[in-house]
Amino acid sequence: MSGLELVDLRVDRGSFHLGPVRCEVSAGSATVLLGPSGAGKTTLLRAIAGFLPLVGGSVLLDGGAVDSLPVERRRFGFVPPNLGLFPQRRVRDNVRYPLALSGATDAAGKAAAWIERFGLTELADRYPHELSSGQRQRVAMARALAADPRALLWDEPLAALDVESRDVLVRMLRDLLETERLPLLLVTHDPTTAFALASRVVVLDAGTVRHDCTPETLARGPLDRFVARFLGYENLYSAHELAEAQGASLAPQLVSAAGAGGLVVPPEAIVWRSDPAGPHAARVAALRWTAAGWVVALRHGSLTFHVATPGVAPGVRIGDRVGIDLVAAELKPLIGVPANGGP
Amino acid sequence: MHRTAIAARALAAVLSASLVGLFVLPVVALFFYAGGSGLAFAAGDSGFRTALEFTLLASGMAVGLGLLTGVPLGYVLARYRFPGRAVLESVVTIPIVIPHLVVGIGLLLLFAPNSPVGRFTAALGIPIFDAVWGVVLVMLYVGASYIVLTSQLAFRSVDEEVIEAARSLGAGPGEVFATVTLPAAARGILTGALLMWARGVSEVGGFLILAYAVYPTTPWNGPVTNAASVWIYNYWGIDPTAAVGASALLVLVALAIFLAVRLLDRSGFAWARGGFFS
Repeated sequence: MSGLELVDLRVDRGSFHLGPVRCEVSAGSATVLLGPSGAGKTTLLRAIAGFLPLVGGSVLLDGGAVDSLPVERRRFGFVPPNLGLFPQRRVRDNVRYPLALSGATDAAGKAAAWIERFGLTELADRYPHELSSGQRQRVAMARALAADPRALLWDEPLAALDVESRDVLVRMLRDLLETERLPLLLVTHDPTTAFALASRVVVLDAGTVRHDCTPETLARGPLDRFVARFLGYENLYSAHELAEAQGASLAPQLVSAAGAGGLVVPPEAIVWRSDPAGPHAARVAALRWTAAGWVVALRHGSLTFHVATPGVAPGVRIGDRVGIDLVAAELKPLIGVPANGGP
Repeated sequence: MHRTAIAARALAAVLSASLVGLFVLPVVALFFYAGGSGLAFAAGDSGFRTALEFTLLASGMAVGLGLLTGVPLGYVLARYRFPGRAVLESVVTIPIVIPHLVVGIGLLLLFAPNSPVGRFTAALGIPIFDAVWGVVLVMLYVGASYIVLTSQLAFRSVDEEVIEAARSLGAGPGEVFATVTLPAAARGILTGALLMWARGVSEVGGFLILAYAVYPTTPWNGPVTNAASVWIYNYWGIDPTAAVGASALLVLVALAIFLAVRLLDRSGFAWARGGFFS
């Protein structure tokens, strides 16, 4: 295939075992690696780049194995979490570095072209410490692309950016993927980035691939606890928590809907009204304002449901009693995650 | 401000000023007593000029050897984990804690002309006792630790991600060292070299034992001389005025070299700042 292919890749780091990982990233597309801390995402990226030895499997680029090549000959555009910019070099020298190493003709001119493409011309004479986070991210990307890579491996490339800078960079990345026809494998904790860029999502947990699917498939489920959290669901309950719920008249309904991993109660699964009359009631425990509107925390026995209200005012005060009900069709059971030999 | 805080600040200021005074006043006294005539006498004295010239040669050689051996050792200590590393780190600091007269005695026992090692080095054309190489050896012993320690710190502070980024951009391990690691550590290494040079030039004890008089041996082809510090020590008993003038001149030369290196550091080292491929 044209692009990056991981064939049953395995890495051992002490007692932590990663893999076997099998996935494909076709040219011009992005695959996002997700997973909780310690899942093996960065280990996987560093192993592909050649910084960690494989104990099994293979890394293929455009159909050819590269795992026997040293790091410098694999031609991966690898961007580490803190970017790895050369602190003592100006922006133009950072971007020119790989071109000069390869002996490219007109290295300065080619570097200037990449610098311009990433909107860094005005900043070319600055040192990395004189740049903002977003500007440094762009320098790292320009430098990685100036090396004429065959695939891109980016570890949290858009971390620590404000929303506006992140959106600008996501647009730039999408354009780049289309024009350069490169496969991109990136680690991110940000669902917005993941859904804006990725054509596939690989979820790692304790060194094992839990999901390898499209973002849409991931969102539709079945969900596990990590994916539900990643997607932003707040109302997550374990089966045990539901079974042991005290003073919650909705608990039997929730228990029957739960899966082995518990249950997600999306905001749309809760109908509430300020009139407490009815079979099920709750008390307003907290109110908070978000960009999407008010979020009301409703205390129902020992369970708390967070529900959004679109209005400019929540219409209730903390301590008020309200009536609630469930829309059973909107409840999302969580699948259990099998135990394995993770870290 | 609270009176206790004012008193505490005043006490800190007095204590700090006392130490700064201790650092500065002896130098001021030296120049005060030497005066222009003392400096002129020392500069015009062919014996001291020869000793100074010899000291600059020997200290340059020692710093060169210190860089050649100390930077790799600093790199190994900074980058690798291996059994005995902690012991090696302690060994590196031995020269800092041993009295330098004792260093001279130890080196003399090892390199005496009639010792096996002394005979071996002499056979190689590198006599140690009362020769330029003896002075270089003492300077290397008492000063190279500074290069090892500062370069170890400097290499340790180079971000691993920067090195990995360079590798992935196409640089082999040697290229990474030359274009990324060494330039990033250059300032720390330079500081170590300066400290070593200053320590070597100010040494006396080791020279008195191993190389009190220096006889012409390649690469020193001048007349019989001493290290500048030994020359000053000798003249302190014979002609204190000459010794004070020579001391002031030695301080001036040392300050000038410090200043020149610092200016070079501030304005230059293009290779360390991205101009390596220019």
